[in-house]
Amino acid sequence: MNDAATRALLPEGLHDTLAPRAELESRTVAGLLACFASQGYEQIAPPLVEFEDSLLAGVGAAEGRRMFRLMDPASHRMMGVRTDMTTQVARIATTRLSAAPRPLRLCYAGQVLRVESGKLRSEREFGQAGIELIGTASTGAEAEVLLLAAEALHAVGAADFTVDLTVPTLVPVVAAALGLDAADATIAREALDEKDMAGLAPFTGRAREVLEALLVAGGEADKALDALVRLDLPGEAAALVEELRAMVGTLRDAAPDLTLTIDPGEYRNFEYHTGICFTAFDRNTSRELGRGGRYQVQGATGAEPAVGFTVYVDSLLRALPEPRRAKSVFVPAGTPRDAARQLRADGWRTIAGLDPAGDAAAEARRMGCGHVYRNGGVEGV
Amino acid sequence: MSATDPIVMALPKGRILKEVRPLLQAAGIVPEPDFDDENSRKLRFATNDPGLEIIRVRSFDVATFVAFGGAQLGVCGNDVLMEFDYDGIYAPLDLDIGHCRLSVAEPVELSETDDPRTWSHVRVATKYPNITRAHFAARGVQAECIKLNGAMELAPALGLCRRIVDLVSTGVTLKANGLVEIERIAEISSRLIVNRAAFKTRPGEIAARIERFREVVNAKAA
Repeated sequence: MNDAATRALLPEGLHDTLAPRAELESRTVAGLLACFASQGYEQIAPPLVEFEDSLLAGVGAAEGRRMFRLMDPASHRMMGVRTDMTTQVARIATTRLSAAPRPLRLCYAGQVLRVESGKLRSEREFGQAGIELIGTASTGAEAEVLLLAAEALHAVGAADFTVDLTVPTLVPVVAAALGLDAADATIAREALDEKDMAGLAPFTGRAREVLEALLVAGGEADKALDALVRLDLPGEAAALVEELRAMVGTLRDAAPDLTLTIDPGEYRNFEYHTGICFTAFDRNTSRELGRGGRYQVQGATGAEPAVGFTVYVDSLLRALPEPRRAKSVFVPAGTPRDAARQLRADGWRTIAGLDPAGDAAAEARRMGCGHVYRNGGVEGV
Repeated sequence: MSATDPIVMALPKGRILKEVRPLLQAAGIVPEPDFDDENSRKLRFATNDPGLEIIRVRSFDVATFVAFGGAQLGVCGNDVLMEFDYDGIYAPLDLDIGHCRLSVAEPVELSETDDPRTWSHVRVATKYPNITRAHFAARGVQAECIKLNGAMELAPALGLCRRIVDLVSTGVTLKANGLVEIERIAEISSRLIVNRAAFKTRPGEIAARIERFREVVNAKAA
């Protein structure tokens, strides 16, 4: 490899974004934040790096294995680079904003960094944008967050996605009702999360019957609800199913065009969630656009209920149509500045010729302009 | 992939394919004639169902195509699923075919004196380095894996290592090479696998196809 090529090589999972995608990315993030702000979610901006302990608190407990760490020469304490922004928002809500009136509505956008790229996602650095609704246990909170997330995705151009609902507490509750011990409950939970039918082989009788039914119950929302009701689950589990049904009803009224599915077994990455959770899947790219749900933030005075949603900006960008380059006009050297200013006021992007060019049209093409300013007007090239 | 494109089903070449063929038949899936011609250069095959296309790839690649959403359905052994441990694959149906086991084997003479409790490090020839490492790590033994793609049984005789981890069905190949099975890591069978995102975004179609195969497997077992 020559020297230039060596410098061009980036570490795995990191990349340069060029035009026009870099612009699309900032426009998309701005669009999401504008949508969040329109419903009163106030933007906050935590730092990229903070003390490791703060990042690993509460919902961040699972993040330790994927965090870049560095030592702070000033305080001699260990710092971590954020792997997810939810923990930071929770920290701010329960400390600096602990006295702010509830429910507290916050939004954010920023880059996160992870030690390993996933098997299916090669990115180690990517953008997140999200909302958190903190300090309310109201059942309206999940619906507000999910509907706003869906509205924001639509607003920035995601045209074809579905939303999968789950209650990660359902399987543990069912396992307890079936009298499974902790080890068996874990086996059941994992088999249901991975839809691994053979993983249910250790179970017999009623347990096997219920777990198998849960495994195949996932799918289109109404069908899944019917399947769950037919299972005739005991008290607490039935209440969770009822909660799901109410949520589906609310969402259908508010957003009849939203495609809803239910997966009662979904668990991975929802380990710290305590209520209804949701994941948005893009139909065309088969990628997760974002996810969220109900969880608890730990404050000085105890736990506060919260609901959040995070958009994965890199996945969202892949789901959007390929951006077009903006319409630009080449303004040859010597054009009056006022004329160029007027073109920009009319919505053109101007590319100025710095030196006199023989053939203005050829220079315009070379610079990627579709138009040239000539004889007091814009001409196509 | 667009939501209106046909569903792609990835099938493994070789041994498993022969056992899958009757299941396809019973499920009413008739691939184009080229599919059964081993000399055909085609990789994608139409079926009698315009909404279903079949691709024929190596068994390890079935899991990869399905995990990344290139194929929405597939058939592969749980050896492959364990080796890759992809998040994006569901295995909702055991097809009850391709039965064998994944085992540790070593030369007969070694097995007579070997005490596995004393190992701290083993060198193993295998097609399954991840499973092998995890299996030995679970009891505090570090496994150094030599990745081979076939003919594992040769490795001990030619001095690459003393142990192998490989699929065993009858044990005849092991015996012929002077090896003996000393431990079973897992029972293997072929599974119908589904891409997670397809399962979520095309629920009706995918569920109906899984159900069809479930009926076929149950009918066969009955």
